[in-house]
Amino acid sequence: MSQFLREYLTVFWFAVLALLLAGLLLGISALVRPNKPTAQKLLAYESGVDPIGDGWSQSQVRYYFFALLFVIFDVEAVFIFPWATQLERYGTFGLVEMGIFVFVLLLGLVYAWRKGALRWV
Amino acid sequence: MIAVAVTSTWYLVLAAVLFGIGLAGVMIRRNPLIMFMCIELMLNAVNLSFVTLANHLGDIGGQTTVLFVMVVAAAEVVVGLGIIVAILRRRPGATADDLSELKG
Amino acid sequence: MISALVASDFATPHVDYHALAPEIVLGVGICLLIVLDLFLAESRKWLVSTVAGLILLGAVLPVVTLGVIGSDVRSMFDGRYVIDNFSLVLKALFLLSGYVVVLMSSRDTEERTPYQGEYYTLLLTSIMGMVMMASARDLVSVFVALEFLSIPAYMLAAWRKRDSKSNEAGMKYFLLGVFASAVMLYGMSLLYGVTGSTRLVDIGQAVTGTDHLVGVQVLGIVFVIVGFAFKVSAVPFHTWAPDVYQGAPTPITAFLSVASKAAGFVALSLLVFLAFPAAKSVYEPFLWVLAAVTITVGNLLALKQKNIVRMLAYSSVSQGGFILMPLAVAGTGDARTSLRAVVVYLIIYAATNLGAFAVVMAVSRKTHSGEIASYGGLFNYAPGLAAVMTLFLASLAGIPPFGGWYAKFGAFKAVLEARTGAAYTLAVIAAVNTVVSAAYYITLMREMWMKPAPDGDESPVRVPRNLVAALVITGVATLAFGVLPGFSGYGAITGLAGAFGR
Repeated sequence: MSQFLREYLTVFWFAVLALLLAGLLLGISALVRPNKPTAQKLLAYESGVDPIGDGWSQSQVRYYFFALLFVIFDVEAVFIFPWATQLERYGTFGLVEMGIFVFVLLLGLVYAWRKGALRWV
Repeated sequence: MIAVAVTSTWYLVLAAVLFGIGLAGVMIRRNPLIMFMCIELMLNAVNLSFVTLANHLGDIGGQTTVLFVMVVAAAEVVVGLGIIVAILRRRPGATADDLSELKG
Repeated sequence: MISALVASDFATPHVDYHALAPEIVLGVGICLLIVLDLFLAESRKWLVSTVAGLILLGAVLPVVTLGVIGSDVRSMFDGRYVIDNFSLVLKALFLLSGYVVVLMSSRDTEERTPYQGEYYTLLLTSIMGMVMMASARDLVSVFVALEFLSIPAYMLAAWRKRDSKSNEAGMKYFLLGVFASAVMLYGMSLLYGVTGSTRLVDIGQAVTGTDHLVGVQVLGIVFVIVGFAFKVSAVPFHTWAPDVYQGAPTPITAFLSVASKAAGFVALSLLVFLAFPAAKSVYEPFLWVLAAVTITVGNLLALKQKNIVRMLAYSSVSQGGFILMPLAVAGTGDARTSLRAVVVYLIIYAATNLGAFAVVMAVSRKTHSGEIASYGGLFNYAPGLAAVMTLFLASLAGIPPFGGWYAKFGAFKAVLEARTGAAYTLAVIAAVNTVVSAAYYITLMREMWMKPAPDGDESPVRVPRNLVAALVITGVATLAFGVLPGFSGYGAITGLAGAFGR
């Protein structure tokens, strides 16, 4: 067996252990607890409201703007993380560079804000 | 278990297969959203290929490239979804074949 | 511990601010435009187009000073970003054609869309991508520049949000553009795998098309070229071009068919001359086929078009084939002659095609139609427009003494200097096609000069001042490049263009 697979063997045993443990606990509780089903108890949500429609309904287009803004700002962080780990090395030069980068990002945010993209219409 | 080492080749083959699946998807599927998802799959295959090669060659350049590809892909998602949603709102369920006002 | 970290191999890179000045001016200008758009009252939005034009002209200034001060090569970031004569000439080309597009738009957008600020911001961003492309000497910077110029262009193509044609154009352009860049990136990853470096010069040393990993090399080269073939709309990757050109707003069509295409060719020449010079056995046959097919198919499809924008679109596909021609013989022939032919063709084609689209815009303000038949009687009611349009069409057809003639002459010269059977065959194909292409240009001329106006309406066309300025700039350039190919400044430009500084 190669070293690579040997390392993954740990993961395998963890998975087996986790399954066994979960199965054991659920099994014991199934054996021990009393079983008296009523209509109310079998509802999907015990708060008592039946789900209406299916799970694939359309979501509001409003979420969309936020999703897009999130994607952009989330991904831009890709450039900030490597920079942050080596902050001291890059010195003033790096600080100024990152300042410009963040400034441009902020400009985008200000734009979105002024155009009302951040408002829940 | 079979004793095999996972080498760079495996990842490169995986990247090629992913790229091929994406390519076939763009050719076959007609829903613009799914076509776009297939293109994203191709881009991710490229990323995998770059990272593997960077690791194999011991050169940081490939990994840097991946960062740029990821950011550009995100920008493309935002622009592309904007255009696709604009079309689908006007014509729900439009496929790439329905977009044929312009031809000749 | 900390001191060990601080004393690392990181050295602050040398930044040559003078050399970067065009990009800096553009970058600051773009930020300024966004702010201006946010805080300007709706009634004063016209200011935005003026400012955009000024920013572009402001960015030309440092290009000129860099050109005047010296011909030394300014190289930054370990040779990954280079300002040499080649890039200076092209930067000037991109900035000036951008300026002409701004001139063409300022009337058009005022009438049709409320999104002035965004329009010019995106236009300038796209131009900035092109300016960066001219200096990029690394796979990563080529890729980033390409996306920088493409992503705003997708939005601009879909600009008329409520027009389903414009939507369709944007969608087609976007899907094919992203698809092409994915293919190109895969090719880049393969080339990187062969060479272990992303610098074009290093790739040029490792990619020889002969020894180890030759299959991967060939695949990498072909994929990268296919990616850019989409961008320059070479047949069989041209299908998006006519649809997008017809659906997009006309100034954007002009912009895409000139500047965006030129940027694609710049990238292609960078790769051919810097990254693949040793692999001519791989890229030459491929580009040969692309060039021959592009010229022929573009022409044949242009012949049967009834809509002027589609006709110009197919004509620009075919013109792209002529620009591919010198690249197809870049290895066997003289590299300098080929590069010079490409750059000269790009410059002249830019002036001519922008001019032709400016006329189309001016005429459609009256006729509101894109049909070729609607150009009947143009000479009677707008002799000036008919005359300039004839100038542009004659230049596109390559009739001496207009600019297009000199461009075609350069392309043929480069091909013939290769002195191989394949090169001669390509020259013959191109020559036949030049004659064929004259047919559809002359059809349009006959329509303008001989036919009566289709609806009998002969009231004069009111051409806005901006459009007149655009017509004058492009017309003078087209004429000057053809009539005075030998004048001193021009000789200097073409001489400069021939040399990649390394």
